[in-house]
Amino acid sequence: MKLKDQYRFIRQNIKKNRARTFMTILATAMGCAFLIVLASVGYGLQQSIVKETMEQQIVTQIDVYGKEKGNNYEALTMEDIEQLEKVENVKAVTRKNQLRQMPTYTIDNYIAGTMAVSTYFPSEVKAGLELSEGRLPENPNEVVVGYQFANELKLDTEENVYDEETGEVKEEFRYSGNLVGKTITMTVQKDMESDEIREIPLTVVGILEEPTKEWMSDLNVYISQDVFEQVEAYTGTPGGEIGIDPDTLESNQVESFDEVQVYAENLEAVQGIVDELGDNNYATYSVVSEMKEINTLFTIAKAGLILVGTIALIIASIGIYNTMTMAVTERAPDIGIMKAIGANPKTIKKIFLLESSYIGIIGAIIGTIVAYLTSMLVNIGLPLILEMAFNDEMPEGLKFSAIPWSLVVIAVGICLVVTILSGMRPAKRATQIDVLKAMRREI
Amino acid sequence: MITVKQISHHFELGKKGQKTILPVLNDITFQVDKGEIVSIVGKSGSGKSTLLNLISGFIRPTKGEIRIKEEVVTDFSEAKFADFRLNHIGFIFQSFQLIPSMTAYQNIELPLILKGENETNRKQIVDRLLDKVGLVDFKDHYPSELSGGQQQRVSIARALVLEPALILADEPTGSLDSETETEVLEIIKTLNKELGITFLIITHDEEVARIGHRTITIKDGSLMEGGVVQ
Repeated sequence: MKLKDQYRFIRQNIKKNRARTFMTILATAMGCAFLIVLASVGYGLQQSIVKETMEQQIVTQIDVYGKEKGNNYEALTMEDIEQLEKVENVKAVTRKNQLRQMPTYTIDNYIAGTMAVSTYFPSEVKAGLELSEGRLPENPNEVVVGYQFANELKLDTEENVYDEETGEVKEEFRYSGNLVGKTITMTVQKDMESDEIREIPLTVVGILEEPTKEWMSDLNVYISQDVFEQVEAYTGTPGGEIGIDPDTLESNQVESFDEVQVYAENLEAVQGIVDELGDNNYATYSVVSEMKEINTLFTIAKAGLILVGTIALIIASIGIYNTMTMAVTERAPDIGIMKAIGANPKTIKKIFLLESSYIGIIGAIIGTIVAYLTSMLVNIGLPLILEMAFNDEMPEGLKFSAIPWSLVVIAVGICLVVTILSGMRPAKRATQIDVLKAMRREI
Repeated sequence: MITVKQISHHFELGKKGQKTILPVLNDITFQVDKGEIVSIVGKSGSGKSTLLNLISGFIRPTKGEIRIKEEVVTDFSEAKFADFRLNHIGFIFQSFQLIPSMTAYQNIELPLILKGENETNRKQIVDRLLDKVGLVDFKDHYPSELSGGQQQRVSIARALVLEPALILADEPTGSLDSETETEVLEIIKTLNKELGITFLIITHDEEVARIGHRTITIKDGSLMEGGVVQ
């Protein structure tokens, strides 16, 4: 018997009991929709969290905190940097040292207090550093400043220069000139006890690109290694730190870096680099590792949600079992006639299995459509309700529910398996119908 | 065509442990040749319908062997017997056994669908048979909209649709009036003559039995002595 003819049989049979079939399809659709919507919460929240994490960090960046030696972690030295640069697929290794006191900077009558950072610009450029204006430093006393540094320069006055609402320097007290080409004076302290200071003139040659994230601001002044060392020599402490006695420090200290970041050639290479660094006893952190953990957690959560959703489908399958059993009983005389004239038991079984699959497919299609609509409503409505209830603004782009194709495939697959299984026994019963009893209408 | 060899059959009645054996057929042996019309006659409860059911494969004999077209059908599995019925045997039942939710056309078409015949061929064959049994104008009628005679003609057309070599008829005129009975018997005779189809007819009606080339009489589950009448 051809599939097309089997399908025609099913349509004829379903037509005979439209209401019952409709209710069964409805139950299946509800079960399927419930499964998808439930699991979609897991998918939605995972997407939102992953997106948020990815946006906050550069995905190819790996932070290297130190190297394990014995039970301690030691700061990275130039030797480590060279080793890191040799690792396969590493694009750049950037290293920074932050001055361990906050210098003040003055230009004309304006003053600012921000951090000074010494960095190795060739590596930074390789890692993707870009300027919004000017050029990179070429001489020891040349510096580049962060994009928001100029906003920190405020008029040196007794008046209240800060806006009470925003906490920023008021417009009228801000430095309004172009810093590129100007000389600013960096003032550092020798120690905490004395008022002894040193003024170092620095020429601003460039301004860094604005940070990509809205909430980030870059106020730093990027000084050369030479200036950094001048400050260290002046204070006699590592990083120009004040508040410690230079005499108590060990004399054999090796030059190390506060902040080391490794940049991979591409996203796919990150995990390999992290693993290799781990094998070499480096303590690392990368967004990819974090993603791995987040994804593992959400995979477990999603599997749990799908399992709970499947229970709804199993409940719906009881309806299918009931419908198919009724159908077999009602059609017993017809089945008897068909068997008498030569219908193979396998054909009879196939017809009934196809009928339960048909209910499953239609239910799954309707369920998927309903799930998509519900998901859309949840994403629009829930943030509004939560905002009203808690009077708190939800993060932009927060998704409570997301239905990827994989979820639809999983749900439809489960739906089909459950419906076919529930149609199995009635279908088998149909093949066992006694021809003579059926033809005598005794079933 | 059919060889029935020492067939015996009994039914088991009652619950397990308290079963009663009810013998129905006892050591039946006969043969039906190709192109014959053989009538099996006997009173109600004589076992003639059971014999037909055994030959049809609807029930299995307790003892003995049945061969149809040289094949030992009593050894067949249920599925194999179903395929064998579809390809080699046509059925005409007393109560027509048409599917009520299908039209006359669809009922006749059913064996062709089961065989996997394509739609164009099906239409051609069914239209020809509808014409042969004089039901062209009733092809879209459901069984409930047809008279007894018309329903039996649909049943005959369905039995013929796969051109079987053998047709088993169980009281084919049992539900018909005498005029329609004559009509149906004429069709059977014509089919036998023109197409050489072998008929095995179960009947208690002597009038019907007379169309057979031979008559086999069964009494109390056994062939009557000298029961085969030429």
